[in-house]
Amino acid sequence: MGQQIESALRQSMHRVLVVLVSFLPGVLVFLLAVILLTALGLLLAAMARRLLTAARFDERLAANETAGSPASFSDWSPSHSPTLLVSRAVLWVCILAGVAIGISAFDASYSTNSQLSQFLLPYLTHVLGAVLLLFFGGLLARFLSRTVLIGAVNAQLQYARFLSLGVKWLVLVLTAAMALDHLQIGGTIVELAFGILFGGIVLTLALAIGLGSRDLVSRSIEKNIDKPAARPMDPSTFPESSETPRPKLRHF
Amino acid sequence: MRARMASAFPERAVLIAVVENSGTTSQAESNDSIRMVAYPATAHGQAGWVLTASDYLGASQLALEHGAEATLVLGAEAVSLSTEALQGLAGTVLRGGADLAIPRYKTGPRDALVSSALLYPLTRALFGASIHLPLPLDAAFSARMAKRLAATARRPDNTTDSEPLLWPVSEAVIASFAVRETEAGKRTLPQPLDTDLNSLLTEVVGSLFSDIELKASFWQRARVAVPAKPAAEPDSSTGQAEGTVDVRYMVEGFRNAYTNLQEIWSLVLPPQSLLGLKKVSRVPAEDFEVPPDLWARTVYDFVLAYHLRTINRGHLLGALTPLYLAWVASHLRRSAGDDALAASHVEETAAAFVTEKPYIVARWRWPDRFNP
Repeated sequence: MGQQIESALRQSMHRVLVVLVSFLPGVLVFLLAVILLTALGLLLAAMARRLLTAARFDERLAANETAGSPASFSDWSPSHSPTLLVSRAVLWVCILAGVAIGISAFDASYSTNSQLSQFLLPYLTHVLGAVLLLFFGGLLARFLSRTVLIGAVNAQLQYARFLSLGVKWLVLVLTAAMALDHLQIGGTIVELAFGILFGGIVLTLALAIGLGSRDLVSRSIEKNIDKPAARPMDPSTFPESSETPRPKLRHF
Repeated sequence: MRARMASAFPERAVLIAVVENSGTTSQAESNDSIRMVAYPATAHGQAGWVLTASDYLGASQLALEHGAEATLVLGAEAVSLSTEALQGLAGTVLRGGADLAIPRYKTGPRDALVSSALLYPLTRALFGASIHLPLPLDAAFSARMAKRLAATARRPDNTTDSEPLLWPVSEAVIASFAVRETEAGKRTLPQPLDTDLNSLLTEVVGSLFSDIELKASFWQRARVAVPAKPAAEPDSSTGQAEGTVDVRYMVEGFRNAYTNLQEIWSLVLPPQSLLGLKKVSRVPAEDFEVPPDLWARTVYDFVLAYHLRTINRGHLLGALTPLYLAWVASHLRRSAGDDALAASHVEETAAAFVTEKPYIVARWRWPDRFNP
């Protein structure tokens, strides 16, 4: 009985060791691939940074940007430096390549039967795509919310912040739904939830603007009926408080 | 206009260049002392309300081509300029030894507000030139200034999508040329076709900020600002007659902006300035005032943020608009329709920019240093 137990335990231990011995080289290869590619990435990133700094990349790019352009390249960059953005992009591309190579190597050395890399690699590209979607969606949301906020404030709208938040969340919800769809997570539940959320935000915004602008619209209609030639309101003019003509400002 | 020019410069050979499609002349004409030539309109067309880089380029090229001793560039509605003003402008260059003469018109307290709030104080503080309209409608310049302007106007300007502007005063100061301001009396001030203040402010102030950025190495050196000349004679015709302006609407606009734009302003302004703005937002409309030193520091912070690209430049200049309107409200309240008071407030503002110049110099050099 004791011998049988001992034999069973030895066999189990042997199997564990066999698995460990066949698993560890795979892990080692994976780590090696990641470390090597990371080191290569660091080297390439440093070279790219030096090269771009020497070529005055930031200044050249800034000179080609206009004040009215939508989101400038530097807005997307860490510390507003396109050079830093490029060098970091090089580094991360190398790291991701290292991970992909490591998974393939791990798959090859660990088990010939499993289709780990065949499943993981395409999914990794999906994850990368989703991360990029979230990144650019976040940037777009911030840019659009600021544009709406500043535009609404300059148009003297009282609900400017609310409008800006609405636009921001619209874009963020859309981005999140796209990312989940890209990762094939949630299926129809995500689509349904997205539809409800998106529709809800749009309806809320429409109601808020409609109710908030009720007085403005009624005043505008009254003005048009009473004074067809009345001037539209703008920040440089003043509300008419009496029958005397308003003094006009000349900003330029 | 031709007769006006003939009477203004009776003993001089004058060459008048007119745009080909303006309808004034279609071909070269000549007289005893006055010659008229046509020149093609610029590709961008006429901005009209202000002289642009292409205007300076066209005028400078013609001047150099014909060997002109002095060049007089006249903007839209120049017929409203008096003969004395024309003589004064040209005479400042021909006899006064100046390389650039910029007119100063008689304006009311509600005129040229962007110049009073931003363009004049910044030009005076950073370039040491006490020119009240640094973005002129008319200008006179010497032959060597024409060369300089032509060279500058040829440089590609990518800071704006529309017609590029040129800042002749800073160009002249950089080249150590003599700049003078001449009294030009009353003039009809043409207004831009685009009535959107936000886009106009973005265009003009963005161009000035770019110019300041470009010439940073010059204005960072210690310089003594040229003392301001006495204010021009107030334009009594637009003074008290129109009454005091109600600033409540603008003050409400500023308060709304203070409530909503804190997130953006906090990226640009240090806590001390934000605190100052908070105090200003709580003041009732009857006592509303943006202190000149706070306004100067705020503008300098925006110049720095423009340089550092702290946020998108379009957003940055959009966020400046409510602050500018707050200054306008403050100016209108202080002037109360009186031209002398308005001029005094403008000079006070400009003096604050001069006093606060070390602030921008320090922040430009060490932007990451702790700034309470």
